[in-house]
Amino acid sequence: MLFNSLVFLYLFLPVAYLVFWHLTSKTQRYVWLALTGYVFYSFWNYKFCSLMLVSTLVSYLAGLGLLRWRDPVRRRLCVVIPVTLDLALLAFFKYTNFALANVQGVSAWLGGAWTVPALDIVLPVGISFYTFHTITYIIDAHRGVITPTRNFFEFASYVALFPQLVAGPIVRFRQIEKDLDDIDRADRRVNLNVGWSFFVIGLIKKLLIADTIAAVINPALQTYAQLSTAGAWLCMVGYSYQLYFDFSGYSDMAVGLGYLFGLRLPQNFNSPYKAVDIADFWRRWHISLSSFLRDYLYIPLGGNRGSGAMVARNLMITMLLGGLWHGASWTFVAWGAYHGLLLVLYRHGARLWDGLPIALRRVGTFGLVVVGWVFFRSDSFEMALTLLRTMFSWRGGLEIAGAPVLVAMLIVAGLAAHWGPNTFEMPHRWSPPYVAGLAALFGACLLVLYGAPSSPFLYFQF
Amino acid sequence: MRTSKSAPALGQIGHLIPRLLLAVGLLDLGLRFIPVEPLTFRAWEALTRYRPPGAAFEPNRHYENDRAYGDIAAMGNLPEVRQYRREVFSTDAFGFRNAVHVATAAVSTILIGDSFAVGSGVSDDETLSAQLTALSGCPVYNAASEEPNPDPDRIVSMARRLGMPRGLVIHLYSEDRDLPRIPASRKRRVTAVLASMPPSLAGFVGWVRGLATVSPLQIGSERVMKAIEDGKILPNSYAGRVVRRTLENGDPILFRAAHVEDFYTRRPASADYWTWLAAELRDARLDLLVLLVPGKYTVYRPHLIDDERRGNGGGDYLDRLEGELRPAGIPVLNLTPVFRARAADALRHGQYLYWRDDIHWNADGIALAALAVQSRATRSAGDCRRLMAEKP
Repeated sequence: MLFNSLVFLYLFLPVAYLVFWHLTSKTQRYVWLALTGYVFYSFWNYKFCSLMLVSTLVSYLAGLGLLRWRDPVRRRLCVVIPVTLDLALLAFFKYTNFALANVQGVSAWLGGAWTVPALDIVLPVGISFYTFHTITYIIDAHRGVITPTRNFFEFASYVALFPQLVAGPIVRFRQIEKDLDDIDRADRRVNLNVGWSFFVIGLIKKLLIADTIAAVINPALQTYAQLSTAGAWLCMVGYSYQLYFDFSGYSDMAVGLGYLFGLRLPQNFNSPYKAVDIADFWRRWHISLSSFLRDYLYIPLGGNRGSGAMVARNLMITMLLGGLWHGASWTFVAWGAYHGLLLVLYRHGARLWDGLPIALRRVGTFGLVVVGWVFFRSDSFEMALTLLRTMFSWRGGLEIAGAPVLVAMLIVAGLAAHWGPNTFEMPHRWSPPYVAGLAALFGACLLVLYGAPSSPFLYFQF
Repeated sequence: MRTSKSAPALGQIGHLIPRLLLAVGLLDLGLRFIPVEPLTFRAWEALTRYRPPGAAFEPNRHYENDRAYGDIAAMGNLPEVRQYRREVFSTDAFGFRNAVHVATAAVSTILIGDSFAVGSGVSDDETLSAQLTALSGCPVYNAASEEPNPDPDRIVSMARRLGMPRGLVIHLYSEDRDLPRIPASRKRRVTAVLASMPPSLAGFVGWVRGLATVSPLQIGSERVMKAIEDGKILPNSYAGRVVRRTLENGDPILFRAAHVEDFYTRRPASADYWTWLAAELRDARLDLLVLLVPGKYTVYRPHLIDDERRGNGGGDYLDRLEGELRPAGIPVLNLTPVFRARAADALRHGQYLYWRDDIHWNADGIALAALAVQSRATRSAGDCRRLMAEKP
């Protein structure tokens, strides 16, 4: 089920919301949140609920073990078992066919005649997110950052919390632990305005900006080889905004839904296209993932400690794995490598870069990010290299259908992304004219929801 | 960021948006009670809305549209390729497409099948059943519906209801349909229960289903979105469902993209379903004739001047199916050769057997099929009840 669907708005959300606020005790609300999470997930594929339940159970039991045992060996087992299970699930469902295809490719390259059949594996939606939830829970518990909960339903509601279940943000237990503890004391009216404000703004970002841009650039990118230089740039700048407004729109909706249920989810995007350097970009883009990679991968690898070569190695490993997390494809790995390289270069040339005028640094950072999105968007290296060749040489080509609308949308999106406040910077105490404007845009969103099939969020595929 | 706790007021977004949602929801609900005909481009959508279980359409309805057009043009959002025509569509008391007098006449033949058999896109007097009736002088009952492979029990009970102790069942199978399968016994039981509903209850169930599934607000919104996605303001995202080609005479012609894909796919052909159906019908003294109708792409592919698609597999699905049916002793008439031959000839005169903007055949195509059936089936002089599947 998608947030941007009629069944969500008219059936799931009202039922989930009204029942939740009629329940009074903590456990009742935990059970209801967990249940709604599983129902929400079932709309996609009920069979995979068992997978989430297994991951939840194992991590919950491991948490209890960490509470009980002080013996380092047992405590280590309490970390190794659930984390291995989560990573194994992720590896099997997400990377098996990728690995087999590569084995096949290498075999063919070496002249072997070995045929590796592709397995019929369906990638469970959201597995990249809920496995990371349980991993952060266990590692934080082991580190003593959090105290594992004894209440199974509290933990189950944390893992299956429907606003963040399938595409994040990757919420750490400690970030909503207090709200979960106080869930029986939450006041429905307190966050009503801010919750709906986040949700409506997220829906507008997704349906009116991201999807409109997608409507123009997706057909154009299907014939990428025929694009002109201007067309290729328009498409890739358009994709940069599409991805941002799509994913940050989803995150805003998740945050808004969290508020409606008395839970404050963390910020996932902090105006990333205002970044003045590439390290700044990664502090602003998909914050819940980049901070996960920092805290659970980069720092354990050694982080900034050690020689320049060691730091570069740590950065490259982190970004390569970050790229691979997005999908089982070498183009994602290349995207990660590209950003790893940019981060390494920035570490060495920060003094030079930071001396440039701030406007130039912003434009430069955005340009570098746009070039990186070429790998992210491309289905193959052939597509990526063709697009890059077109972007960095001069050629005429086909006109893009809908180009005037695209340009207008890029202006709107550009103003909002580069100069406007992000959703967390907004006051959410709107005066009546703003409320009327938002309601009118929400009405336009409903027209789109009624008139067109719901388009999935880009990050659902990861 | 700050949060606020304040009294309910429409000036606050947290109060206005849920009310707006509610208002739109109520509007949607209210509009579901209004007639949908003004929003339809042909009869099918209008008359299937409140269809009772077991019926093809709403009983005793009459629909007229002077500007009906084809389903592929609608699906692909291509108004410039529409072929406007008049469509008159009537249903009988049982909810099937028949002129009222047919149900009470001495019916000798029942026609079952999909929208080709129903006669989507043509008027009442141009359907296959109407043209066969006119040609043979023997009333043919049109029992075709959305469910192209009805359960034999339902066919038999329909035959009995029509006062038909024996006769012929023509099963029209169009190439673009999936290969029918013998239904599971559970599905047959459900069908039987639905069929045994009293008419008033069936009517109520159909009405509720129509209210639940057809939203005029949704249809209207789709129209708005299609107007915006016209290929000029925004790219036409619907066009991908459709393949647009040019014929030798320069006329544009549309195909469903899925049907073109199917043509190049080697689909399994099996006579199992028809062997089972024939046996079930035989017990009730009903003969079976399977009428194989080629898809539009199969017929017109040789006459396209801009079709770059080439493929080794597929293209002979109905021929292979015929090859399965004959050895199984199932009377079969494959219209592919006669349609291919006639289409080439007609094209030279600017005439067609199918609508260019629709997946369905037109009145000329149906007339050709009726002639082919008539030449194949025959009857004993003066006795319509003995219309035979095969010439003796």
